[in-house]
Amino acid sequence: MAEIVLDVRNQKTSFVTGRGMLAAVDGVSFTLERGKTLGVVGESGSGKSVLSRSIMRLLPGNALVPADSRVVLNGKDLTRLDEGALRRLRGPEMAIVFQDPMTSLNPVLTIGKQIMEVLTFHLGMPKRAARVRAVELLKAVGLPQPDVRVDQYPHQLSGGMRQRVAIAIAIACDPDLLIADEPTTALDVTVQAEILDLLQRMVRERNMAMILITHDMGVVAGRCDEVAVMYAGRIVEQAPVRDLFRNTRMPYTAALLSSIPRVTDPPHRRLDAIEGRPPDLINPPPGCPFAPRCKLADAACDAGVPPLEGPGRHRYACIRPLGQEAAA
Amino acid sequence: MNDLTPFLAIDNLTVEYPLAGGRKVHAVTDFTAHVRRGETLGLVGESGCGKSSAARAVMQLPRPTGGQVTLDGQALTGLRGQALQKARRRFQMIFQDPIASLNPRMTVREIVSAPLDIAGIGTRAERDERVAAMLEKVGLNADQAMERRPHEFSGGQCQRISIARALVLEPDLLVCDEAVSALDVSVQAQVLNLLETLKRDLGLTMLFISHDLAVVKHVSDRVAVMYLGRLCELADAETIYTAPRHPYTRTLLSAVPEPDPDAPPRAVSMVPGELPSPVNPPSGCPFRTRCPRASDTCAATMPPLEEMAPGQFVACHHPHDGAGISA
Repeated sequence: MAEIVLDVRNQKTSFVTGRGMLAAVDGVSFTLERGKTLGVVGESGSGKSVLSRSIMRLLPGNALVPADSRVVLNGKDLTRLDEGALRRLRGPEMAIVFQDPMTSLNPVLTIGKQIMEVLTFHLGMPKRAARVRAVELLKAVGLPQPDVRVDQYPHQLSGGMRQRVAIAIAIACDPDLLIADEPTTALDVTVQAEILDLLQRMVRERNMAMILITHDMGVVAGRCDEVAVMYAGRIVEQAPVRDLFRNTRMPYTAALLSSIPRVTDPPHRRLDAIEGRPPDLINPPPGCPFAPRCKLADAACDAGVPPLEGPGRHRYACIRPLGQEAAA
Repeated sequence: MNDLTPFLAIDNLTVEYPLAGGRKVHAVTDFTAHVRRGETLGLVGESGCGKSSAARAVMQLPRPTGGQVTLDGQALTGLRGQALQKARRRFQMIFQDPIASLNPRMTVREIVSAPLDIAGIGTRAERDERVAAMLEKVGLNADQAMERRPHEFSGGQCQRISIARALVLEPDLLVCDEAVSALDVSVQAQVLNLLETLKRDLGLTMLFISHDLAVVKHVSDRVAVMYLGRLCELADAETIYTAPRHPYTRTLLSAVPEPDPDAPPRAVSMVPGELPSPVNPPSGCPFRTRCPRASDTCAATMPPLEEMAPGQFVACHHPHDGAGISA
């Protein structure tokens, strides 16, 4: 039995807004094993970033998490830990890489200082040794001239280089769980390929578990073991990556896949757009959140929210799944 | 090149931005492309390649440093003041950020009507009628939308409002600068389909700028690939994607992640390193510092744009033979 690094159970995260309670993450459960990468895909507002911050316990003050939500990392229930204990875990046990390396790095500290800070705080490394280690880490993430760059400031680096630095900081204390939240969305496509290669290599070499959050189905297709598709704060389908693409069950996943323009399509192919827009999370529909836009929905779909269930590791939240004839 | 009488002719376009100390950002250098009436030319490249600067230079926003832009026989680069304002009715633009490009204090009626007001077209009632008809055409309910303000709409709906504003003067040329890049895929598909429909119904000529190669392929008849201010390759959409000859085009295509778990992993063939600065571009071919095929010739001279197959123009000393890319 593989070692389970992360166990998320019924995570719910809501925000108090002027119009009422907004359920950004609405009952998400999954487990993640060491050495595996879970892709989390969704459109804006689907809750994927709030989920990553809920796991890291990096939520703003107006966020509400009910008492029965659980995030268990290496057997420790993060929901029961105070801020001091969480701080000691962020780095050695879990780390996150954000979308925009310009805002996630401190502009007035050299990148060397920002890496050394982590090493001295968590590992108690003396300054000298921390600096040597910082250069090693910059080398490991493929930053050219690491011994020169270590004394530079973020603004002296390109976007791709800054993201490499953010990854170096994230892996500095060998975390068991790495969350990459849209790590390449701000980068050009050729740089994106390099950064995704780097993340994949780090996961393999260090035997970490990774959650790769993205809006891009192309990114998850080649880089993940399993994929979870989120819609309106819930996981609506989760499966090993080939199953998700080849044996899609949830109509939302299918609609999302067919709305993507592909370089392999002939020019001017009409795209299968999903009409309408995602539901208002302050007043969600009573049943399946995708039902109002779903071509296969009927009255039963409005009766209640379908649970995420399914055979084996392929789970879907749908009472009118695709390919049912084949499965019967 | 291309056609004897292009509808939009961009010739030897150069855009430079001055910096302190007499230095310059060479945003676009000697860019030439001709677009036929009713055709969509896609302009792709990574950040800093000059695609947006080229688009703005076509719009005369601001006027280019050098070169000529001619629309339907009229030299836009020569126009000033009132004459330019009058000519602008024929070419309009939509921008990337659908929310930032709409004035939050104005109602949708005021926003879409503004071009008509400026051009002094029709009575108020006639203008309202045209605004309403245009809103319906872009898929909005005019009765519900007219008196509302941008914040009441989603990103996709705001982009529809932008499109209505751009098209209300019935322009011939529509310039789309990353027009769908800020939208989610499901909404992006709606807007792309809408643009295709409008182009067909209204006979629009389009210049479509995007960093997303898949999006560009969906709307373009021909595609121009830019790198560091220069045109690398220009060909019909199918050829660019299936038989590219410029090493940069091939690099760019191989880096696009395909939404297919069984797609064979493709190595991105590019020399590791960084994009050179447009303030101080490399001598000769700008791609030579990252190009696996570069030689001394590439450092010495900029390769001229040559027609290497019918309709396929490539600026490279060592082009590929045009064999399929995925094979």
